[in-house]
Amino acid sequence: MMIWLTIIGMALVTFLPRALPLLVPGEPPAWLQRWLQFVPAAVFVALIVPPLLLQTTAAGRALTFGPQIPAALVGTLVAWRTGNVVATIMAGLVVFWALRALGVA
Amino acid sequence: MICMTTRDHTEAPPPRAAMFRAGFVATIPIWLGAMPFGALYAVSARAAGLDAWQTLAMSLLVFAGASQFTAAGLFAAAASPITIILTTLVVNIRHLLLSASIAPHLRQASTPLRALLGFQLTDESYAVGMRRFANHAGDPAYQLGANMSLYLAWQSSTLAGIFLGALITDPVALGLDLVFPLTFIALLPPLVRGRARQGAALVSALLTIGVALVLPGSWYLLIATLGACAVGVLLERRGAR
Repeated sequence: MMIWLTIIGMALVTFLPRALPLLVPGEPPAWLQRWLQFVPAAVFVALIVPPLLLQTTAAGRALTFGPQIPAALVGTLVAWRTGNVVATIMAGLVVFWALRALGVA
Repeated sequence: MICMTTRDHTEAPPPRAAMFRAGFVATIPIWLGAMPFGALYAVSARAAGLDAWQTLAMSLLVFAGASQFTAAGLFAAAASPITIILTTLVVNIRHLLLSASIAPHLRQASTPLRALLGFQLTDESYAVGMRRFANHAGDPAYQLGANMSLYLAWQSSTLAGIFLGALITDPVALGLDLVFPLTFIALLPPLVRGRARQGAALVSALLTIGVALVLPGSWYLLIATLGACAVGVLLERRGAR
């Protein structure tokens, strides 16, 4: 029962921030819209960077430089040139696997 | 599965159904990144002591990958319900910003539809939708298609994890954890057009590293996003002069 209640609580606290801004009637004020136009770029960079550059250990987080970085750079190039999601993912993975096969990782 | 009826076949296909389909299809490449983690979530939730129904219910009701993984870990560590719920809130609070920034584009949708769009809003389907809105070709039906597409992939991969758990190999060992950042790298280019946005992206990267090294959890997401938006507004104001 505790597990079910926890899941329902999780569902609620996830739903509220997702839905409230969509359910508030009327236009957001102009200053807020100016801020919000930068949200996509800001959020996605903040999601991209940690798995590439940070390593979580028992002692906390630390900077790390591994084959995922050249993989991401190649992925970025492919994304810029093609805009193709599958091509980007595959290019990045192939570079990562190749570097690991060569013993870089 | 999905019901799309053509009410009037003397006309071209109804734009709504076509929009829905376009959004659904545009999100299919992202299944590649989401499905291994849906399956792995199910395996870790089962290992943490959740039964099959609870594991599926969390995917159906919460539908937020990072927080589901975190919750599975906390269940395994016998954390209290309050701890798990508060952690979920912290991990998912960033959706407030996503939702607020996509809201102006979804204004013409009915209230129940907006509630549904909010319920299923994820980083991935938001990025798919915002690319389209950035080109002034977005539509609530397109966003619904993108959301439903990812929802379907998440539920089916959760089921796969529940039933085929023993067969699931560790995606991290295969380097599949790279798929997550690569997905967002692929979706990013149209969203960083212009000097001010690029400046904001750079500040976000620096703040993310700086804050993540100092503060635990996912506070860096919120702090980096807010800081980057502030810098973006400043850069834009300077550029406008």
